[in-house]
Amino acid sequence: MEKIKNNAFVKKVGFNRIVLFIVLLLMYGIFAILSPTFLSYNRILSALNYAYFLGFLALGVTFVIATGGIDFSIGPVMFCAALVGGYLLTIKGVPLLACIIIAILVGTAFGFLNGYLVAYWNLPSFITSMASMMLAKGIGSVFTKTQSVSWPQAVQENGGFRKLVKIMTSNGTQIPTGVLVLIVMSIICAIILNKTKAGRYILCIGSNKEAVRLSGVNVKKWEMLAYVICGTLSGIAAIVYVGAYTTVQPGLGDTFNNEAIASCVMGGTSMSGGIASIGGTFIGVMIISLLQEGILAMGFQKDYQYVITGLIVLVAVYADVRSRRRKN
Amino acid sequence: MLEVVEEKISKEGEDVGEVILTMKGIDKSFPGVHALDHVNLELRKGEVHALMGENGAGKSTLMKVLTGIYKKDEGTITYEGKEVEFLNPREAQKAGVVIVHQELNMLNHLTVAQNIFIGREMMNGKLINDKQMNQESKKLFDRLKIDINPTQKMGELTVGKQQMCEIAKAISHEAKVIVFDEPTAALTESEIEELFKIIRDLREKGLAIVYISHRMDEIKVITDQVTVMRDGGYVGTIDTATSTKEDIINMMVGRVIYEDPKTKSNVKPGAEVVLKVENLNAGRMVRDVSFELHKGEILGFSGLMGAGRTETARAIFGADKLDSGDIYIHGKKVNIKNPEDAVKHGIGYLSEDRKRFGVVVGKSVAENSTLADLDNYMKGPFIDKKKEEQVADKYVEQLKTKTPTVEQLVVNLSGGNQQKVVIAKWLVRDCEILIFDEPTRGIDVGAKSEIYSLMNDLVNMGKSIIMISSEMTEILRMSDRIIVMCEGRKTGEMSIEEASQENIMNHATMRD
Repeated sequence: MEKIKNNAFVKKVGFNRIVLFIVLLLMYGIFAILSPTFLSYNRILSALNYAYFLGFLALGVTFVIATGGIDFSIGPVMFCAALVGGYLLTIKGVPLLACIIIAILVGTAFGFLNGYLVAYWNLPSFITSMASMMLAKGIGSVFTKTQSVSWPQAVQENGGFRKLVKIMTSNGTQIPTGVLVLIVMSIICAIILNKTKAGRYILCIGSNKEAVRLSGVNVKKWEMLAYVICGTLSGIAAIVYVGAYTTVQPGLGDTFNNEAIASCVMGGTSMSGGIASIGGTFIGVMIISLLQEGILAMGFQKDYQYVITGLIVLVAVYADVRSRRRKN
Repeated sequence: MLEVVEEKISKEGEDVGEVILTMKGIDKSFPGVHALDHVNLELRKGEVHALMGENGAGKSTLMKVLTGIYKKDEGTITYEGKEVEFLNPREAQKAGVVIVHQELNMLNHLTVAQNIFIGREMMNGKLINDKQMNQESKKLFDRLKIDINPTQKMGELTVGKQQMCEIAKAISHEAKVIVFDEPTAALTESEIEELFKIIRDLREKGLAIVYISHRMDEIKVITDQVTVMRDGGYVGTIDTATSTKEDIINMMVGRVIYEDPKTKSNVKPGAEVVLKVENLNAGRMVRDVSFELHKGEILGFSGLMGAGRTETARAIFGADKLDSGDIYIHGKKVNIKNPEDAVKHGIGYLSEDRKRFGVVVGKSVAENSTLADLDNYMKGPFIDKKKEEQVADKYVEQLKTKTPTVEQLVVNLSGGNQQKVVIAKWLVRDCEILIFDEPTRGIDVGAKSEIYSLMNDLVNMGKSIIMISSEMTEILRMSDRIIVMCEGRKTGEMSIEEASQENIMNHATMRD
C-alpha cells in the first residue's frame, strides 16, 4: 500500500483521486450488471446532460470552497439566470447572443454580491449565500411573473446555441459536444487555480488569510474574485442547462447546490479551504451524474440517490478531516 | 541574601497573621524547560503578597500548580495546616483558593448574577431561580460595598466592573486565598483606586491575597510582602515597607548575562533616518509613540508583556487601524492604510506568532517565499514556477533552512526553519525596513544564534531593523539603541552604551 502511495505517478495525480476514479468505474460496472438498459447510448447521453450543468456549478464553487467559504446560491442563481435570459429571448424578443450574455452576467452579479459581502463586509459566507439563494429564487420568479420559460429547441430558430451541448447529425445520431466543453472548461479552471496569481492567492487565503494579508496582498480583492468566478460559471451553467433540458421553472434549484458541493468534497477539495482539486471535482460530478442516472435506470426514485450521495460525502469528509488531523 | 531574607520572615512572623498556605520546594518541568526550580511561597492571613518577576519567570506556572491546572513534580503545598494537592481549579475553589484571571472569564450575554452563580445555579425545582440569585448577588455586593446591578448584562459593564464581579464571585465561593493575576492591566486610575479599596477590605477580613503585577508603584502601595522569581527559580522574599524599588528590580534582573551584550552602536554617525514615527495612537495599547529608525540600525523595543510593542508595530505596518499619527519614510510622509501599502513602502513584518500571521503552513516553502512578491515571478498570466523555485532555493541555501526540498510544506518544518521561511519572504521582496517581533520565541538555541547573525548581516547590507523582544539578553546583545515601552507609551529611550538591565526594567515598570 505504502509503495503504491509513494509511486511518482500516484503522488502527482493524488491517491484519493485514483481511488475516486476506481469508484466511478466500479459504479459504472455495477449499474451495467444490475440494469440491462444502462449501457444504452441514450442512458449515457442522459447522464452526461446532467453532468454538464452540474459540472459548471461544481467547478465554480470549488474556487469558493478553496478560499474557505461556501456558496449555497449557485443552483438558484443558475435558474434565475436561465429564467431572465429565456424570458427576454422568448417574450421580449431580445437577440439570442444578448440573452446568453445577460444570463451569464446575472450569474456574475450574484457572485459579485456574495463576494463583496463576504470579503469586504466580513459577513459569513454561509448565511450570505443562503440569503442570495432566496433572492435568486425570488427575482427569477418575479421577473417571469411566476411563469416557466422554455428556451428554443434545436430545430427552432435561435436553437443553434444547443450545439454547445449536443450536435444532431443528419442521420439522427447525437454527438455529446458538451463533454468536450466541460473538459475544456475544467482545464481552464485547473490552470487558473494552479498556475495563475489568482489561484495561488485564493488557495493561500483558504489556508491562512491573515498571513497572506500581512504579506501585503489585497486579500479582499482576491477572495471576492473567487465568488465572481463561481457566479459567472453558474451563469454559464444556466445556458448549458437549458441547452440540455429546455425548460426552467421558477423557485427551484437548491438541490443542485448540495450536489455541486458534494462533488467538490468527494474530489478532495477541503471544506476548510486551502486545498482544492479541479480534477477531483470533475470526477465527483461524473459520479453523481452516473449515480442519478443509474438509480433511475434501475427503476428507483431519486431518494435512493440522495442516500448514496450522502454516504459518499460522509466518507469523503471523514477522509479529509482524518488526513488533516494526521498532518497536525 | 537568601539567609537574610529567611531570617527576616521568621523574626517578623509572629506579629503578622497566622500562616494559611505554604508552598515549599515546588519543582515543575516541561519537555525542554525547567519551569519551576524549587520555589517557595508562604502566605499569611490578612496579608497582600506580591509575586514578581520578568516575563517567563514562572509566576503563572506557580499559580497554576497551586490551583491544580498543572501537577507538580516535587515539593509540598500545605494549606490550613494540611498537606494538599488540588486536582483541578474546581477543587481548589471548593477549598477556598481562587484566581481572578487577567483575562476575565465572563459570559457577556448573561446577567451579572447568572455569571456569579454559573455552574451552581440556584434552583426552584427544575427551573433556574433567577430571583434568588439576584438577591444573593445584591447581598454580596453590599458586603463588598460595590455598586453593581445584578440584573445587568455582563457585557454592558466596564472592564473594571467586570473584575469586581469576578472578585465577588471569588468571595461567594468562601475564598480564603485569592490570587490576582495582573488585575490592574486593563483598569483606569479610578477603577484601580476602587480595586485597592476592596483589596484592603479583604485583607482586613483576614483573607490572604497573592498579587501578581509588573507595576512597581502598585507593589509599594498595596502589598505587604514581595516574593521575587527569576527564570523559574525562587530569589527571595522581602518586606515591602522596608525595601526600595531598586532592591526589587535588582532581585528581578540579577542574573548573569551569558551572552555578551553589545558595547557600542554599529550605526554610522549621521546615518539617514529611514523611518520616523510621530505621535502614533492606535486603540488603547499605542499612545503617543514617536521614534526614529536609522539606516543600518537595530532598534530594540523592550518592555513587559502587554506594553504595546506589537500593537505599535502592527499599527505602523497597517495591520491594525491607527487613530492618529504620522509616518515618514526617507523623510517623506506616507499614508499606510493596510499591509499592502506598508509592503509597497518597503516595510516587512515578522510576527511573534508566525504560525498564525507569518507562514501559510499548508503551502510549500517556495510558495511562501514569493508570497509578498509574486508580481515579479510571473511569466505573462502564469506563475513562473521555475524562477520561483530558484529564488526559494537560493534563500534556503543562504539562510541554511533545513528542508529536503522547496516543495516541502511549511507545516513539516521546525519553528526556527519556519521563521527562516518568513525571513526569506521579506528578503525576496527586498524590504528595507524589517520589523522582527520576538524573532526567536520558541526557537532552539542553535537556530537562535543563526537568526542573530542573520540580523547582523542584514543591517550590514544596509537594511534597518526594529526588533521587539521580551528577552533582556536579546535586547542587550542585538540593539544599537533601545526604546522601552510601558502600557502603550514610550517610557524610555537609550543608546546601547547607557543601557543596562536595571535601567531598562526601571523604565518598563514606569507608569506614565
